[in-house]
Amino acid sequence: MIPASFEYHAPKTLDEALRLVERHGDEAKLLAGGHSLLPLMKLRLAAPRYVIDIGHLRGMSYIREENGQIAIGALTTHSEIEHSELLAAKCPLLPQTAAQIGDVQVRNRGTIGGSLAHADPGGDYPAAILALDAEIIAANTSGTRTIPARDFFVDMLTTQLHPGEILTQIRIAPRPPQSGTAYEKLHQPASGFAIVGVAANVLLGNGRKAIERAAIGITGLAAKAFRAEAVERALNGKTISDKVIEDASRNAAQGVEPLSDLHASGEYRREMARVFTRRAIARAIEAARGVSRGGV
Amino acid sequence: MKLAGTVTLPAPPSEVWSLLTDAPRLSRLLPGCEQLEPDGPDRYKAAVKFGIAAISGKYAGTLEFAEKKPPHSLILKLDGKGLPGFVKGEGRIELTPKGDTTEIAYTGEAHVGGLIASVGQRMLDAAARKIVQQFFDSAKAELESTKGAAAEPNSPVKAHRKGN
Amino acid sequence: MTTRYIGKPLKRKEDPRLIQGISHYVDDLNLAGMHYAAFLRSPHAHANIRSVDLSKARHASGVVLALSGADIDGAIQPVPCAAQIPDMKSAARPVLARDRVRFVGEAVAVVVASDRYAARDALDLIEVDYEPLTPIVNPEKAIAKGATPLHAGHKDNVAFKWELEGGDLKAAFKSADKVIRQRLVNQRLIPVPIETRGVIADYQPGEGQLTVWSATQIPHLLRTQIASMLNFPETLVRVVAPEVGGGFGSKLNVYPEEALVAYLAIQLGKPVKWSESRRENFQATIHGRDQIDDVEVAVKRDGSILGLRCHVIADLGAYYQLLTPLIPTLTGLMMTGCYKIPAARMEITGVFTNKMATDAYRGAGRPEATYLIERVMDLVAAELKKDPVEVRRKNFPQPNDFPYATPTGLIYDSGDYEKALDMALKVADYKKLRQEQAKLRKEGRYMGIGVSTYVEICGMGPSSAMPAGGWESATVRVEPTGRVSVMTGSSPHGQGQETTFAQMGADVLGIDPSQFQVVHGDTSIVPYGIGTFGSRATAVGGTAVYKSLLKVKEKLAHIAAHLVGSDPERMVFADGKISAKESPKKSVAFGQAVSAAYVAKTLPADMEPGLEATTFFEPSNFTYPFGTHICVVEIDREIGDVKLVRYVAVDDCGNVLNPLLVEGQVQGGIVQSVGQALFEEAVYDEQGQLITGELMDYALPHASDLCWIETARTVTPTPVNPLGVKGVGEAGTIGATPALAGAVADALAPFGVHHVDMPFKREKIWQLMRKSSGRVQ
Ligand SMILES: Cc1cc2nc3c(=O)[nH]c(=O)nc-3n(C[C@H](O)[C@H](O)[C@H](O)COP(=O)(O)OP(=O)(O)OC[C@H]3O[C@@H](n4cnc5c(N)ncnc54)[C@H](O)[C@@H]3O)c2cc1C
Repeated sequence: MIPASFEYHAPKTLDEALRLVERHGDEAKLLAGGHSLLPLMKLRLAAPRYVIDIGHLRGMSYIREENGQIAIGALTTHSEIEHSELLAAKCPLLPQTAAQIGDVQVRNRGTIGGSLAHADPGGDYPAAILALDAEIIAANTSGTRTIPARDFFVDMLTTQLHPGEILTQIRIAPRPPQSGTAYEKLHQPASGFAIVGVAANVLLGNGRKAIERAAIGITGLAAKAFRAEAVERALNGKTISDKVIEDASRNAAQGVEPLSDLHASGEYRREMARVFTRRAIARAIEAARGVSRGGV
Repeated sequence: MKLAGTVTLPAPPSEVWSLLTDAPRLSRLLPGCEQLEPDGPDRYKAAVKFGIAAISGKYAGTLEFAEKKPPHSLILKLDGKGLPGFVKGEGRIELTPKGDTTEIAYTGEAHVGGLIASVGQRMLDAAARKIVQQFFDSAKAELESTKGAAAEPNSPVKAHRKGN
Repeated sequence: MTTRYIGKPLKRKEDPRLIQGISHYVDDLNLAGMHYAAFLRSPHAHANIRSVDLSKARHASGVVLALSGADIDGAIQPVPCAAQIPDMKSAARPVLARDRVRFVGEAVAVVVASDRYAARDALDLIEVDYEPLTPIVNPEKAIAKGATPLHAGHKDNVAFKWELEGGDLKAAFKSADKVIRQRLVNQRLIPVPIETRGVIADYQPGEGQLTVWSATQIPHLLRTQIASMLNFPETLVRVVAPEVGGGFGSKLNVYPEEALVAYLAIQLGKPVKWSESRRENFQATIHGRDQIDDVEVAVKRDGSILGLRCHVIADLGAYYQLLTPLIPTLTGLMMTGCYKIPAARMEITGVFTNKMATDAYRGAGRPEATYLIERVMDLVAAELKKDPVEVRRKNFPQPNDFPYATPTGLIYDSGDYEKALDMALKVADYKKLRQEQAKLRKEGRYMGIGVSTYVEICGMGPSSAMPAGGWESATVRVEPTGRVSVMTGSSPHGQGQETTFAQMGADVLGIDPSQFQVVHGDTSIVPYGIGTFGSRATAVGGTAVYKSLLKVKEKLAHIAAHLVGSDPERMVFADGKISAKESPKKSVAFGQAVSAAYVAKTLPADMEPGLEATTFFEPSNFTYPFGTHICVVEIDREIGDVKLVRYVAVDDCGNVLNPLLVEGQVQGGIVQSVGQALFEEAVYDEQGQLITGELMDYALPHASDLCWIETARTVTPTPVNPLGVKGVGEAGTIGATPALAGAVADALAPFGVHHVDMPFKREKIWQLMRKSSGRVQ
């Protein structure tokens, strides 16, 4: 499989990259890990005139604490996230999610920035990013802006990023004590993408007997990842019981038009959203109860 | 691939009818339409560039109206091909007056072949729904602007176009 | 002969170079001045071609040649079909479609350019005017009244009808206590070798020599076919199969691209390469299975099977490939499995549809047969409320029944089916499994146990029953240095015969296995051969090697006896020496005797110099490996996910040359079956579009989908060849699907389900449980 011809640029700095995307706009595509873009190019479903390879940019691959937040560089690979000790301690949801992406080769190349920018309807990170209320930092030649995760995903393969912008960083608040997270995924057997993936982030209260606040991100079910607000509403402030969790999970697919394909009909996806939402909430609660800080 | 649904457009059937059957205006509604030229009675040559994000392709083909019953119903036939594959579709559109608006009920079926059918399978349904939605969102906007009335500004179509 | 190496788990000689990536597959080879071919393929399943306009492509930069079907009219014969069935209709696949395309992926035009990119780009400049026709996708609709025939001159889409009957079927059904009927479907599969196909052809006009490198399982047959398709002297064609990255039957074929690339090289006087993309491989390399079986069985209340009747609809696709019509007939021959069933009847309707051709895919017709009879045994057990193990045991032929003649006309060579069954039951601890199952069911957990007792036909074998020869060739040449070249007509592509043939040679000649070089896959070096398929390379190819080894051994014995003054019959080969039995002092080094053969001064009178022997071995019968597989699954009630919990395989492939390699073949075969049972399905939509067009949608089993496979063996040698080996390349795939299917049906029994068609995709299982959840027993 051979892509159509393109002009290849490998900028050495972010500024240089930004100038290139500004100049070429729509006709340019950024190349990060290449694990979403290159398959499309090889099939000639995508044929950008300019490919701007940011894979070599130094300093865009990191996981560190900054002003009390966790900052992750856009070029950080899935595998670096999977194995980060800092994240395991302060934000275990991300390593958990990363570990379920594709296979080892995909995780070694694919980047979190690429995954979010690509906004594949079956991508895993979007669910986690939503449940964590992360912030996404985008830069262009005139500066940077911060996009809340909730606003970031617009539609299938479409985000708030403008042509000319580069996603540079993801920012997450460290999880408070008494909170717990979990990512539960039903994978598509061929590609590994999520048929349904549910990230749950719960904060417990009342001696860990009640849910103070829940954030549920769901991917795979619809054209874009979304926050399951109806589930959250049904959980917030409730004393924990199997029934509460079960009832809340019934709202997982509320108001969304489920995707339907060869691997899962809309009906099945809807039902799996319920099952996996329940499982994710239950595991997040367990995590919150099991340990107050660190570990899963 | 089957599509069906209803939408309400903010104008009476006669206006909606003339919008849908007037080539120059119609061409503005069709997402990515670059050309729509008469090619016989009720038949047009079309060139469309359609895509989602990085995935895009150009298609050339024909658009035809059949069984026109103004301003009640018509059949729309599409036939196009491009490097990513080919599409052949037929849809029935019915207009029912609802006060001074029109309710449109559409049912259609499209066959997709070639590359997009063999590798784009998981995106196809959603993509088709998106095209239909964009079409009717544009129709809404067009009808509202001709009315001169303040259109609802938060059409999701606009948000899409802002994206990459 | 002492067996120092035979039967030992030697590591494969092949692996170091493969693991390091330092040997060469077709796409790794590059010749000076090489050009590249790319094929334009039909996006339509069924269409008339009104015109093909190549003018823009011809003028594109880098393009040296662009041809459509019309341009090569008559120059290349269509794809050959070696299988012949009485009254079968013709449906030869043209190398490039001429007036009509009949499946998505059928080649319509070819472009040759100075690099791959230019060739691929030029495809986008070709304009084909298609007139789409209604695709015929469903095989039952294809043969329904009024369906338009795919091929001109045919009155319908029936390619052939094939029948086989033995025993008194009428009586069997008349005296039955029960008759059970079931429809069983073997879905269409894509073979997916890791290496896709590839061809390079080079023509030297001065010498008139054509060399073709191809990723093939059958270099010699390919040589003959390329010669006849191009009307080119076979003596001037050399075919080389370099490293071949798997085939599973998909490279046991002759493809349009092989002849066309050769033709292009001749036309251009330049080497031409074509490398298949994965998408092309999915669309235009043979598929496997695709059978609908309507089966009826007549049983006694005690579980004895009296008769079996089956009608098969075999979806052949649009054209014949090399063996297409033959594959379903193997299902017919093996339909009674490892049971004494007095009467059986098979009717096969081969059907043309607008799809890629089906052909031999690992197991080729036998997995379908095992699936058929083993599902029947489970259904009988369910109907009679008996343990599936006991129904099987009841119908086994006993060891003293062998050679056992089936009502389908085969003679099973040797077997002890009960022994393998008992061993498997013991390894699995079957009784305990059943207890555990009962316990889990009470907890609302759905565990299922599946049992498959299989027999298969392999070691193909004899020529009278084969479309293109059932023998194999081998030349053993002991070089003057004492090292040994073994030239085999088998064409290993992952099976490991470089190792096993060396093991065998080492024991026969009493030297180290490292002294052997096994050469294969080059028609200019290896004498004529048939190739590797049908689990035949050891049973037939290995026997040919063995016989040649014995011939050179005999000659060496004479030479050595002459040198030490003893009797050839008394010479013993061991530790690199040839010695007389009576006295250790009467001994020569192996190399010394070899040297004598070439120096030729001290040879016995009348003996020819040199040390080389060739054998063309033809077995008198097929071989029939057998075994028992037991599979345990658990189904997730909420998702429908089938999880493998345990897998026990007891296989009997006769004598074993290298247990490590047998283990590898068994494990790999079972995993391929897991693929068919749980995941794989080539899906064409109603317009004939192959919508599982890539590995992103065609699901193969992953390591994480499996459980540990516990293997054990019984050994029942075959009398068919002197090695007593049967063959094991396909057994895993043949034995495993019914065990998996049985386990899933067993798990679903509380829902009133007794049969589910493969693949057991989650949503399908989920729907079944949901529909009958009110009826959980
Ligand atoms: C076999 C396979 C299995 C997979 N399975 C899964 C799975 O199970 N779950 C899952 O989530 N994903 C899966 N993926 C996708 C994988 O995670 C990709 O790596 C990821 O989606 C994209 O990241 P990338 O760095 O490779 O991006 P690229 O492919 O390089 O880029 C993707 C898109 O994002 C844009 N882009 C990249 N970086 C930036 C940036 N910093 N700013 C703005 N735009 C940018 C590019 O222009 C391009 O349009 C799979 C991929 C493969 C090939």
